[in-house]
Amino acid sequence: MIYDIRHVTTYSYGSAVSYARCSLRLKPVNGDGQQLISHAVEIKPRPINRASRLDFFGTDTESVLIETPHRLLRIDSRSRVAVNREARSRAADSPAWEDVREAAFASKSLGGGSPIGYVFASPLAPLEQPVTDYAAESFSRGEGIFRGAVDLMHRIRTGFKYDPKATEIHTPLKEVFEKRHGVCQDFAHVMIAGLRGLGLPAAYVSGYLRTYPPAGQPRLQGADATHAWVAVWCGEPIGWVGFDPTNDILVENDHIVLAQGRDFSDVSPVDGVIVGSRRQKLGVAVDVVPVE
Amino acid sequence: MADSAVHGSKARPRDRKVAQWTRDYVRLPGIPDEFITPDGAPREVWSRFFDYFASLSPPEITRRFGAADRHLREAGVSYRAPGETSERAWPLSHVPLLIDEVEWQQIAAGIVQRVTLLEEVLTDLYGDGRLIADGAVPAAAIAGSAEYLRAVCGIKPPGGRYLNLYAADIGRGPDGRWWVLGDRTQAPSGMGYALENRLVLSRAFADLYKSMNAERVAPFFEAFRDHLRASADRDEPRIGVLTPGRFSETYFEHATLARYLGYLLVEGDDLAVSGDRVHIRTVAGLKRLDVLLRRVDSNSLDPLELDASSQLGVPGLIDVLRKGGVVVANMPGSGVIESRALLGFLPNLARRLLGEDLKMPHIATWWCGQKSAREEVLDRLDDFAIEGAYGAAVPGFPGPGPVLAADLSASERDRLRNAISNRGIDYVGQELVSLSTTPVWDDGKLAPRPFVLRVFAAATADGWTVMPGGFCRIAERLDSRAVSMGQGARAADVWVVSEKAVTASTLLPTVDTVRIKRITGWVPSRAADNLFWLGRYLERAEGTLRLVRALSVPQRDPGKGPQHQSLERIQRLLVTWGATALGARANPSKIAAEALQNEEEFGSALSLVRAAQRNAASLRERLSPDAWQVITQMAERLAQPVEDDDGVVSTAELTLQELASFAGLAQENMNRAAGWRFLKMGRRIERAINSTRFARQFAYDEATGEDLDILLTLVDCQITYRSRYLVGALLPPVRDLVVLDPYNPRSVAFQAQELNDHIASLPTLRAGGLIERPQRLAVALQSTLITAEAATLDAKSLFALEQQLLELADAIGQRYFPHGASAMRPEKLMGLA
Repeated sequence: MIYDIRHVTTYSYGSAVSYARCSLRLKPVNGDGQQLISHAVEIKPRPINRASRLDFFGTDTESVLIETPHRLLRIDSRSRVAVNREARSRAADSPAWEDVREAAFASKSLGGGSPIGYVFASPLAPLEQPVTDYAAESFSRGEGIFRGAVDLMHRIRTGFKYDPKATEIHTPLKEVFEKRHGVCQDFAHVMIAGLRGLGLPAAYVSGYLRTYPPAGQPRLQGADATHAWVAVWCGEPIGWVGFDPTNDILVENDHIVLAQGRDFSDVSPVDGVIVGSRRQKLGVAVDVVPVE
Repeated sequence: MADSAVHGSKARPRDRKVAQWTRDYVRLPGIPDEFITPDGAPREVWSRFFDYFASLSPPEITRRFGAADRHLREAGVSYRAPGETSERAWPLSHVPLLIDEVEWQQIAAGIVQRVTLLEEVLTDLYGDGRLIADGAVPAAAIAGSAEYLRAVCGIKPPGGRYLNLYAADIGRGPDGRWWVLGDRTQAPSGMGYALENRLVLSRAFADLYKSMNAERVAPFFEAFRDHLRASADRDEPRIGVLTPGRFSETYFEHATLARYLGYLLVEGDDLAVSGDRVHIRTVAGLKRLDVLLRRVDSNSLDPLELDASSQLGVPGLIDVLRKGGVVVANMPGSGVIESRALLGFLPNLARRLLGEDLKMPHIATWWCGQKSAREEVLDRLDDFAIEGAYGAAVPGFPGPGPVLAADLSASERDRLRNAISNRGIDYVGQELVSLSTTPVWDDGKLAPRPFVLRVFAAATADGWTVMPGGFCRIAERLDSRAVSMGQGARAADVWVVSEKAVTASTLLPTVDTVRIKRITGWVPSRAADNLFWLGRYLERAEGTLRLVRALSVPQRDPGKGPQHQSLERIQRLLVTWGATALGARANPSKIAAEALQNEEEFGSALSLVRAAQRNAASLRERLSPDAWQVITQMAERLAQPVEDDDGVVSTAELTLQELASFAGLAQENMNRAAGWRFLKMGRRIERAINSTRFARQFAYDEATGEDLDILLTLVDCQITYRSRYLVGALLPPVRDLVVLDPYNPRSVAFQAQELNDHIASLPTLRAGGLIERPQRLAVALQSTLITAEAATLDAKSLFALEQQLLELADAIGQRYFPHGASAMRPEKLMGLA
């Protein structure tokens, strides 16, 4: 499947902003069942400096410096991506979760893709005993990690209410868990924290969903904004597998990956600091259209 | 021999004293002691010390201890316990910890070897990663640390090192050897306190200090300073101590270090990234900063790449490091090596990287991320102290560690067991050890107390150097575990005692290495801001005190002084100034007392002096101890309850005298660099505003002679007026003297002229020849006052004058201070985009 993606971010400010330093993580991953065909980001006002580098997690990160006073910042990202992932059965076999845990603990790499980076608490995914206990119900003794993760994803989908008004970026995990509601980001953090509590490697993935479903299928949640889901390390040779707890589906050809990190704070698509305005309004528009 | 002297019949009185102290000194069973060896004899260095000590009479000992305490109090040595808002005095144990030079050399060799090893490990962890790939260090032992900064991976530390400063907490174990209890690599604290303790004790016991041949610590600081200077990539680098600010528990120490080493004390707000460099905001614009000695934790250093919620750092700092534009000591991320999870691997790493065995052992530690260690800990759970593998907390258990399984209930024990089984990577088991004790002096007796010694090492061009001394923390409880300043512990100086006389040294460099400099024309914007407001608050306090005095004198001496109506004007002014919550018609005595010392009212003299004190606290590295002391005294006096009108008058008068002495100190002792000008400008602008307000209130168009009399008292011009005019107080001459007379140092015109002089001497930003706004307003103000005539001065023009002054004060703030429009605090972009 080939997609044309348009992702427009706008910040409007109450007064002129004289300085902005941003980090952009807007370039879709090339590889891992995805092929990046083209990509361009247009920024207004024009930055005086733009520089790209790969961050620790291998994400293409662009540093942008704007010193032109402005009241409106517009970041327009266009990408064309081909996606071709193999489909998996929800009941597929996999190593027992306890063995995956030992294998992760014994990891001999600190790199961005190493499972050991994803078993500890991270800034937005603290480990909470109730969340760990909740996740533990999906992992009976000797259960395959894949089936356990499918079950946990399903329980989050059915047990939590999707409600874009209920939470914001800084709503603590504890509150999301207690009130059982939130958006894709919250569900991803809950699933991640639960898995890590058990010692299992779980990563946060940011990306897109196709906006319009194939005929006869329902529209997926999170399709008109950036989306977030979970990657679980299922031991060798399976490696990382994507789980979308918001929609209770495995990540296949409807998902386009932007970045993977420990939680949202590692992969935030647009991040930065500004000087000059206290009031700001954010707008995000995402379109993901199949080309063929 | 001490023993024969004790028992000999001809024992001197001082020998008998030492013998008595020794007999009364009851060691803790089974625990080694610094003073007394296991076979019951005092160690030689301590005998020498107490022999001298015994020559002092008890009152003399009390006097010297008192002198030491007074010095600490006066210097404002303090710390803030976690969770407290006010600073506490520094509790000093007056008996230093003594360590024989020979033994010290072993300690120092162990420390140098250890920090050399840690530097190598850090270089590998953030660089090639061979130790991880080979399995010499488990990846999990690193990945779990919040101090493992992924953003820093692959950056070569500018200046060439991760560690520039290192500290280790050590203690003497049951076997008599010194043990490392923990490594401090993030931003070790205590060095400044050690320095302060040394200054105090060596002064109080100068003769003893000299006769004991204690090693000097100054050369250590000198070597460290040379090294930091050399680490920058230009000749005369600008170096700052980065502090979280005055609410940090060790803020006093940050200021001490900055002052002693001659560095700028800066907060994140003071710094800005521009180009590929870090700059400091000054009244003369951005100035490049080359080296940051940081006392802010790594994760708070850069909201853009690290903890996004931090307000303490500098956005873009990590990117500057990436480009090699600034040296940060220690390199962000260095704290990862403090993890207890790593301890068990260090002996092998020492053999592999240095080809040596560790010279100093550390507490035996089992990291439960490895199966065999985990099983051993679970098997003998009661034999271990369970600690967090990476930080102070033990995950799943409240408060800082350790958790002792033996102290837990059965269900809590199960929980601990489960936690270790599931996520062993988060826990270590450590051997339970008791540390040695050292004597403290309590009520004329010596008593043993457990202690922890913090030892410091600094990088120099010739390798690591260890401070001969350190920071000793002494526990009050006899449990020899868990010593922290917050838990009511005392601190002690540490003397490394040598056989030979030591050479004296201070921080004076040799003559040929110093370039003569006279004045630095700029000052950091935040310091300028604090100085300006220090001046304003003190001047406002003076105005309030003068009003209080004018109101109270007639209450104390009924029949004397002005009548009811004029007094009501004073009361009205105190009400509008926010000095009292009582109405203008309330009892004058009550109003005066409130305006003097009701701290609920922001305009009371006490509140104003407290506000000045807060500004001064942020300027500790710039103010002389004398100046700080005067402010503290004023606040203390104003806070003491006063009985009656006489008490109000005398408190007001004494405080006015102290204000004058502070002004004198500033005038006579402060360097005339830009900072001084801001202090003066603060006083000038506030005095001009106050004099204008007094004039509006008491020299109004229908003012009585009594009103004018009060005005002359308030602005301290009675004598001048009487010598100049033979008539009683009349409106035009009084207005002229108070507002327009440029020769009267209390007049508004005089303040305007001074303000103009100061502003003209400050650096300008616009080279285009345009006059800057503060100067434009100040010149306009002065010409108004020069050209005005007393006869045409009226209520309306006085009001306009006041507005002009307020506008000028505002313009000064906008132009020179960090909260001006030109340099707002960066706001974080928000939202899930």
